Amino acid sequence: MSRFEAFALPPGFEPPDVSDRGRGTDRNPGVGAAEDGGGMLVVRFDEAGASMLLDRLYQSGELLARRGVRELATILGQVGARFLDPRDELRREAEARLPAEAGLGSAMARRVIEGMARDWSEERLHRLLEEEFEDPEVLDGLRTSRTGRHIAATGGHMAFHLGAGNVPGVGTTSLLRSLLVKCPLVLKPGRGDVTLSVLFARGLAEVDTAVAGSLAVIYWPRESPDALARQLLTRADRVVAYGGSRVVAELRSQLPATTPLVAYHHRVSMGAVSREALMNASEARRIADAAARAVTLFEGHGCVSPRMIWIEKGGAIAPEEWAAMLAECLAALHVDWPPASPTPADAAETRLMREAAEMRIAAAGVGKLIGDPGLSWTVLLEPGEPRLEVSPGRTVHLHPLESLEELPLRLKPLSSVLQTLALEAPEPRKRALAQALQRSGITRVTTFASQPWPPSWWLHDGSGPLRSLVRWIEVEP
Amino acid sequence: MNVLELEEERSELASALLAAMGEGADRIWSDDRFNALALRVLCYQARANPAYGALLRHRGIDPSRLTDWECAPWVPTRAFRELPLACTAPSPPEAIFRTSGTSMGGQTRGEHRVRDLSLYRASLLPTARRFLRPELDAPPASGPAAARREAGTIPGAHRAEPALRVLALTPSPSDLPDSSLVFMLGTLAEAWDDGGGGFFARPDWSLDIDALRKAIGQAQEEGQPVLIAGTAFAYVHWLDMVRSSWLPPLPWGSRALETGGYKGRSREVPRHELHREIASTHGIAPDHIVNEYGMTELLSQFYEPASWQGEPAEGESTGHLGPPWIRTRILAPVSLQSVRPGEVGLLAHFDLANLDSVSAVLTEDLGVQVQEGFRVLGRITGSEPRGCSLAMEDLLAARRQGL
Repeated sequence: MSRFEAFALPPGFEPPDVSDRGRGTDRNPGVGAAEDGGGMLVVRFDEAGASMLLDRLYQSGELLARRGVRELATILGQVGARFLDPRDELRREAEARLPAEAGLGSAMARRVIEGMARDWSEERLHRLLEEEFEDPEVLDGLRTSRTGRHIAATGGHMAFHLGAGNVPGVGTTSLLRSLLVKCPLVLKPGRGDVTLSVLFARGLAEVDTAVAGSLAVIYWPRESPDALARQLLTRADRVVAYGGSRVVAELRSQLPATTPLVAYHHRVSMGAVSREALMNASEARRIADAAARAVTLFEGHGCVSPRMIWIEKGGAIAPEEWAAMLAECLAALHVDWPPASPTPADAAETRLMREAAEMRIAAAGVGKLIGDPGLSWTVLLEPGEPRLEVSPGRTVHLHPLESLEELPLRLKPLSSVLQTLALEAPEPRKRALAQALQRSGITRVTTFASQPWPPSWWLHDGSGPLRSLVRWIEVEP
Repeated sequence: MNVLELEEERSELASALLAAMGEGADRIWSDDRFNALALRVLCYQARANPAYGALLRHRGIDPSRLTDWECAPWVPTRAFRELPLACTAPSPPEAIFRTSGTSMGGQTRGEHRVRDLSLYRASLLPTARRFLRPELDAPPASGPAAARREAGTIPGAHRAEPALRVLALTPSPSDLPDSSLVFMLGTLAEAWDDGGGGFFARPDWSLDIDALRKAIGQAQEEGQPVLIAGTAFAYVHWLDMVRSSWLPPLPWGSRALETGGYKGRSREVPRHELHREIASTHGIAPDHIVNEYGMTELLSQFYEPASWQGEPAEGESTGHLGPPWIRTRILAPVSLQSVRPGEVGLLAHFDLANLDSVSAVLTEDLGVQVQEGFRVLGRITGSEPRGCSLAMEDLLAARRQGL
């Protein structure tokens, strides 16, 4: 594979002379390129180069502010739509690079691109604005609210968005949010999410150089931050971070007290299947199929990926039977969406998890472990006091429950890290259960079928995705 | 088989093992010898250890029909956190060693219930002697070493052993009775120390710098060779504390044992650098600094012997070696079969000294075969998750907050 530039700089900001490794050129002092371990070209900045780039982005904010928010949504949506067209050049390059970059099989990579890009279309971005703001034009200037207040919303001068991990598309969704609230940004995508965000920035530059001038996508290995990484911490007036607790805590400690940080730390999602949903085999199988897809998509790496499923006893289909159905569906998906080979560490972790589980099952005399010999997928059903465990890849832990009404109590220990619950129950029980979970930490209740794909306007970890990026101004009479 | 018969079988096995260990850790055992003992141990554990017996039944394995110890089911170390893995015994265990709990965020600590500490002693002493004091088994020589050997011999030791003062950078066995490492160092001190050594960490593992400094000065004055022994993080703390000051070099014949990971307790230093720093700070010959690899779940240990003939090239490892009563396999995670030479796999050890718990132990360490031994590449757990989904470690941290 050819060397891929792991960066997209504002149009007109001369790209570094890649033959002049790490030293920069006459026109761009202090900007250079080097190759990271994965064969990508990584741009490196010294103090002067970083300062030039950030000045440039800062200034671009003036131009961005003059564009109407509706117009922005349209322009951005045009670029996003390219990823939905299998013949488009950007889409093809994304498809070619994603499997290796994100550790996904090709079929899964295509499914992930389509699922993520659906939310980058014009229609969805306009809907996002409408869902987030009663009057989206508050982003263009002062507006009079329904109750007669004079208010406007602003997204700040310059943001730093920091991605971690290899769920593809997270960075692109993040940069779209920032541009929609008219805030120029530097996005550092996660190591497994470089391609889509760089390609999006390139596509944007083809459509509108002025808007593209407000965006820099730059990947650098976490272990070797450069001057840009340091300057961003002091100059960005909005920071958005996706990462584990350690990454978020470290970032928090490095930021000035006045810089707002929106942190999407790692979370755990789950499923719950009611006894009513297990009353007949065809419905139970339909749910098992949807659950298997949710488990499999993103190879368990997504914060929306269900890692454990609670099954209520008392249905016509016993938890053991449903576990077997789920296993069959996972086996089928292993054919449709073959996984990339697991890393040695993931394979080892799965092996140890299985061996330990088998010992517990043997000792307790109950429980079931079903998995393929290649360690690609595992269903583990253990009755008794639930062990709250997560395991890598396509592994799901099933916990039988006497009643789903126990859930609020069961979930209490995890409240700070919960996110999505796929709740398969008929109304009105679903609503009642969701109501009981209101204070549990769960921020999204959905179905297995929808679980992997929250809409762009979802309350991401409990907050509006655009509203959490803006600051309001009110002019009182 | 009734309880009495089981006890009789156990007693015969323990005697056989103690006798075999008494022959020394440098003996070479034939495959047949190891296999015969291992199969007997397996059969005993299948009957005496309820959890292991259940696993064998679950898999439909009749241990009495096994002909090869490698066909025994492996028990992952994490099972020591989840199940009682001791064989039934007529009396309470003599010790309960606990893991530090670092590998899974400290949720629960693994327990190794040790019925009979004499097996642990019988395993660790000859092994330590082989790798820490190889000159004792070398042909007699004349000169200062031989002269020193005459003085301060330990009564009842395997052979006339000159004293080696033990300065341990750990808490004392009375402060930390549930640490298998501390017990091991305590045993070495009982066997080798001349009465001048001690334990120089407080129960929270912080070092008593002044006392250690004083002990080193005293050993130097007396010309008494010492064994400094501690975890990698303790060495880093110690070396950081004394870097700016001068320490008298330790007497000729002194040596250092370094073990364990960092467990987040100090900055991490590559091993060869740490050994170089230990060598330069204490005036210990680089080939007298030895890494030990052990774990709470095993009563036998491995050592990476320095060549004792010269410093190995940087980064080059001679591999970890153990006594003949433990055998190691490097297993492919998918098949649980031995990997081809040079391939990375999970380290699995069959330790006969684990008579009273389980012998077939599958670790969480990845390793690779090196010469006669193996090199440890590191733990599989604790790596950063690669998505936005929660890692087990974060989940455990959240549970601690939420409970």
